[in-house]
Amino acid sequence: MLRRYGSQYAPAVLMIAVAVAAFFAFPFNLAFLTRILIMIVLVLSLDLVLGYAGIATLGQAAMYGAGAYAAGLFAIHVWADPVAGLLIGALAGAALAALAGLALMRTHGLTLIMLTIAVAQICSEIANRARDITGGADGLRGIRMQPVLGIWEFDFIGRTGYWYAFAVAAVVMVLLAVLVRSPFGLSLRGIHQSPERMLAIGAPVYWRRHAAYTLGGGIAGIAGALTAQITQLVSLETFSFALSAEAMIMLILGGTGRLYGAVIGTVIFMWVHHTAAANDPFNWLFVIGAMVLAVVFFLPTGLISLPPALKRLAKGGRHAGS
Amino acid sequence: MDLLLNIAVDGIAYGMILFMIAVGLSVTMGLMRVVNLAHGGFALIGGALAHWLGAELGLGFWLAAPLAIAGTVLIALPLERVLYRRIYGFGELQQVLATIGLTFLMIASVNYLLGSTLLPIELPPALRQTVDLGFRQLTAHRAAVIVVGLVVIAGLWGLLDRTRFGIRLRAAVDNRDTASAIGINTSSIYMLTFALGAGLAALGGILGAELLPIDAYYPLRYMVLFLIVVAIGGMGSILGSFVAALAIGVIETASRYLVPDLATIVFFGFVILFLAVRPRGLMGSA
Amino acid sequence: MNTTRKTAGAIGLALGLFAASGAAADTIKVGVIAPFSGPFAQYGIQYQQAIETYVAQNGASAGEHEIEFIYKDVGGVNPDQSRSLAQELLIREQVDYLAGFTFTPNALAVGPIITQSETPTVIFNAATSVINKESPFFLRTSYTLWQVSAPMAEWAYDQGLRTVVTTVSDYGPGIDAEVSFKAAFEAKGGEVVDTIRMPLSTTDFTPVIQSVKDQAPDAVFAFLPGGPPTFTYTKTYNENGLRDAGIMFLGTAETEESNLQGLGDMAIGLTTAYHYSAAHDSDLNREFQAKLHELHPDGIINWASVGAYDGVHLIYEMVKAAGSDGPAAVEAVLGMEWESPRGALTMDPETRTVIQNVYIREVERNAETGLLENAEKGVIATVGDLGWDQ
Repeated sequence: MLRRYGSQYAPAVLMIAVAVAAFFAFPFNLAFLTRILIMIVLVLSLDLVLGYAGIATLGQAAMYGAGAYAAGLFAIHVWADPVAGLLIGALAGAALAALAGLALMRTHGLTLIMLTIAVAQICSEIANRARDITGGADGLRGIRMQPVLGIWEFDFIGRTGYWYAFAVAAVVMVLLAVLVRSPFGLSLRGIHQSPERMLAIGAPVYWRRHAAYTLGGGIAGIAGALTAQITQLVSLETFSFALSAEAMIMLILGGTGRLYGAVIGTVIFMWVHHTAAANDPFNWLFVIGAMVLAVVFFLPTGLISLPPALKRLAKGGRHAGS
Repeated sequence: MDLLLNIAVDGIAYGMILFMIAVGLSVTMGLMRVVNLAHGGFALIGGALAHWLGAELGLGFWLAAPLAIAGTVLIALPLERVLYRRIYGFGELQQVLATIGLTFLMIASVNYLLGSTLLPIELPPALRQTVDLGFRQLTAHRAAVIVVGLVVIAGLWGLLDRTRFGIRLRAAVDNRDTASAIGINTSSIYMLTFALGAGLAALGGILGAELLPIDAYYPLRYMVLFLIVVAIGGMGSILGSFVAALAIGVIETASRYLVPDLATIVFFGFVILFLAVRPRGLMGSA
Repeated sequence: MNTTRKTAGAIGLALGLFAASGAAADTIKVGVIAPFSGPFAQYGIQYQQAIETYVAQNGASAGEHEIEFIYKDVGGVNPDQSRSLAQELLIREQVDYLAGFTFTPNALAVGPIITQSETPTVIFNAATSVINKESPFFLRTSYTLWQVSAPMAEWAYDQGLRTVVTTVSDYGPGIDAEVSFKAAFEAKGGEVVDTIRMPLSTTDFTPVIQSVKDQAPDAVFAFLPGGPPTFTYTKTYNENGLRDAGIMFLGTAETEESNLQGLGDMAIGLTTAYHYSAAHDSDLNREFQAKLHELHPDGIINWASVGAYDGVHLIYEMVKAAGSDGPAAVEAVLGMEWESPRGALTMDPETRTVIQNVYIREVERNAETGLLENAEKGVIATVGDLGWDQ
């Protein structure tokens, strides 16, 4: 029993250790590390929607952007408390997902993908046109946050931002870990594998999918709120197709349907991007393209399957040798 | 009245350009069931080759365009052998990732060789003149695109519905194992179909370049537009893509005439409404 | 400002901790944040080439200080990335100056941090008036949309044009261009018959052009982002016979040099008002271009190049006057006058955007080189940022 829990919590402990180590190892890259953490939250939301519930989407940025604008506007006009802003962001993301989900969850495959894209594009165009409220293409500016929980002020180096984003990512991670092991999470997996069978045993497939999409939207909204609070500016790019597509690449890269896959995929993708772009920005796309292809062809279930694959390889090598 | 005529003429001309570019995708994605996000990449290769042959080697359009299409097919064939053959068997998500990765490599290659600025394709004088329609002018280029589009749809219909190749292709797609068992060489059928898709992409890229100009980032910029045409038309239906492209052309053009500043919202609103009501598209099969 | 002092303390701590690993004391670092990848990579490349040209002409030191440039890729419109790069540059590389910034959101995103760290930041391109209000440490060597659109409108009226339709891309800069043109044109007594806003995703401009043609104004004013939209818009303008119908084209950056050759013969005769043409007739401009082409034979030179070139000059002058003392450096160059490849410049002490000439130009084919160029027909105004008080 103890051992089982030990192995279950080992990755979590490892991740906290990595986060602490990163803080001390890269004290001057905290802003970049914070962006990775925010992206992890977004990719986790996509993992719930795509990886667990099997809802194909290329429009997760719609909820991310909604959360960002909602949190930004709330901070400017109502209350600049960060945690309250997160809740507002989550609500906005969830509300948009719930509304759009009513139509979206009736469809599948390419149609569903196109609908999710269309929703994000419409959101972007609305934000662009509502220039008096959102600042349009110039971006929503003037976001000045109060200290986190009234104690920790956002500092110049980004220490507060880093730990704040880390705490939010950790809470989201724990919530999702509990959720995917709950009966609800198990039924999502069931729907993903065989919607017909779940219908046959009387599960409300449509509403389960709708609930998963709404929850995923809420989490994406949290990620959006985080970015609004930390960058202090929200741009139309938060709704962009490129962002949705990148999040999807990170998720599949890491491995869908496993929370740690989302984390690993995001870290690796952003780190490779950062390094490649710093060394040869004009040609970094070669590196990303090659990496993506290599993963699909050699690690079809994502980077998360790298350790077992290596283990197999090592074993195979020994067998061959003996 | 003039307004209606204008909408009809411009809408059909625009729709035909959309069709030209999306029809290749309809072939690979609809018939072969590959989520081929690299489709725009083949259009880019075609357009970039045409630009290079015209601007660097000084070839005329009538020579450069066919050569560019042939070149694209020549590039597509080994890609099919090495990569796509394995991609066919992947799950949808893996197909998305693999073809996006391939698209990145295509963009990076064009970017590396020709830079990130626009790659214009010079039209011959014959296509640059204007045709007088009585109530207004239309460029010869657009008139030519309409004609080529009609030829392509007729040719594809003949090829897929009236030839042994078409019958074999459909058999191969429906059940590859059975088709192989009765002696159909499915792997060469797949290769030919893929080459057809890539060739059509190049043709569309070159002919559509007046409206959707070629640059290295072309595949990402217009990916959504191509996918919408196929989704509205219905997977696997060439005729569906044709009707969808024309419908999208006319609706978008109408909204640009009538409510220009709301055109994007009208367009995507229409897409959502239509797909919500008819999730399988215009002519999609189950 | 309690917050500022605390932050300054934190930075001081960071600086103190890492002073040993930092550069020699007499080196001043400049961080350049610009797109070096993606569809807008051309901007970053041009900035870098212009900077290298300036350094080749004037040496790598200003006063007693060595100057070192550090380039960072922001990709595209990406304020998150822009801000985090600025933080990295300020904290890790300990830069004393920031520069670059192609897009407004990317510039706005660093506003709060450069105010805290008191880092002079020179904008090479982003053209929205509002940016400089976000921080007193912003200085701009490019232009603002008001600065070129309003003179265009006044010139058009003086040429006898009375009715105009404006067609602009429906986003911040486009709307700025429309509003400023309309205000200036109507103040003179002209009439803006229709204002058409085109969504950014527009690919086919025929409907817009056809509507303009049906309204038969004296001229059409256009503003579009560079690249594909500008390319197809100008093509469509020509193909639909607006020129033959006597409807004049009035623009700003539409005929800029990086895509001009691609437009081909149809661009000939397009009229624009702008602050820099690569064909500007002056020795300084020729020297600048000769040096740049010596270093980069295929380099393209346009307003982004000259924005960066003058921006570096401004940074050199700030370093000479005040070294790494941010507030003193900004103070030292306010009101500064100098001669640039584009003409005479003054750094406006109020708006911190350069006061400069706006030229009226027409696209012509150069008889000698056989290439298209924006031939300057004269100075139509010498103005600062007219959008500052809007």
